[in-house]
Amino acid sequence: MEDDILTTLKILIIGESGVGKSSLLLRFTDDNFDPEQTLTIGVDFKTKRLNIDGNNVKLAIWDTAGQERFRTLTPSYYRDAQGAILVYDVCNYATFSKLETWLNELETYSTKRNIVKMVVANKIDMENREVSRDEGLHFAKKYKTLFIEASAKTRDGVQSAFEELVQQIIQTPDLWDSYSLGNNVSLGNKDHPAHTSQCSGYCNLV
Amino acid sequence: MDDVLTETVPAEELKKFEKAYHEQLYKQDVTPKAQFEYAWCLVRSKYPADIKKGIFLLQELFRTHEEGQRDYLYYLAIGNARIKQYTEALKYVRSFLNIEPGNSQVIALETTIKAKMDKEGLMGMAVAGGVVLAIGAAVGLGISILNKKS
Ligand SMILES: Nc1nc2c(ncn2[C@@H]2O[C@H](COP(=O)(O)OP(=O)(O)O)[C@@H](O)[C@H]2O)c(=O)[nH]1
Ligand SMILES: [Mg+2]
Repeated sequence: MEDDILTTLKILIIGESGVGKSSLLLRFTDDNFDPEQTLTIGVDFKTKRLNIDGNNVKLAIWDTAGQERFRTLTPSYYRDAQGAILVYDVCNYATFSKLETWLNELETYSTKRNIVKMVVANKIDMENREVSRDEGLHFAKKYKTLFIEASAKTRDGVQSAFEELVQQIIQTPDLWDSYSLGNNVSLGNKDHPAHTSQCSGYCNLV
Repeated sequence: MDDVLTETVPAEELKKFEKAYHEQLYKQDVTPKAQFEYAWCLVRSKYPADIKKGIFLLQELFRTHEEGQRDYLYYLAIGNARIKQYTEALKYVRSFLNIEPGNSQVIALETTIKAKMDKEGLMGMAVAGGVVLAIGAAVGLGISILNKKS
């Protein structure tokens, strides 16, 4: 079973506390939703297998708390991540405004320069929306990230968010090819991002 | 693949938070934040001596800083599991679940710890230890446990 896995990918979920990071992860891994989802302590971890274009991929997903008191140490978990999901709550404008800070932190601390980023606009099932789809799209375009609107509650967009992120990583062999060979090799790669894949998939989507 | 029990803190992070903690210690004014950040790094170290030190600092925090007790219990469980003190680790897990029974993050940690014990053939010991634990847990949150230890 193990040997038919193409690769294991490290994915981060970041964003302000309460935007629904843990809920999106729970929906994705267990197809479940908890209206009383408890506050994450520090950094949580879940795994999930995914089949993308006939390839079995194993995802190691690190779900961060986002609360102030954990902020200083969270970046020490960014190392070697190939993908990042940045979440905001469409009913809370402040969480959208903070996205740039999260993106900066990612740029500063991630060791893979061409890490694939997906912005997820969560809680679209709610009525009191404060951030329009266009604003979200505009942000994603500006920072060359993938973008999707989602609801952990209704399932909308959740599976696609992860699938499209992984697809984009798979299409960037520099990110994962040498990963299984050990850290030394992948470290050597960080200064040579794949020029061919810098924008292709991103622009299609946005 | 790394999980919460095997991933390690980058050495320069550990150093950074160690320095901040010691600066406060020197001024005899250690904030819970600085102590927690240093302890969180220590329990993620690859060296058992660091982890033990982290556990000590977390126990101290647990006694003195009520606000963060939930966080301290969680990392006490992780620290103990990482130095293979599984019985101790499960004690903290159970103390936590006594207060917050449905916490999926802590339930997942329990599963991870038990899987590790299983792999190392220690499951029998856990069952034997469990009886003692259940009594400890009934007394209430880990304070009794901590006193017993120190
Ligand atoms: N209506 C609605 N509520 C959500 C959604 N996602 C999360 N929540 C709720 O928002 C709160 C915070 O979610 P949580 O996953 O803990 O956020 P985190 O701090 O980013 O991990 C919880 O009460 C969730 O039940 C969603 O898509 N729709
Ligand atoms: Mg959370």
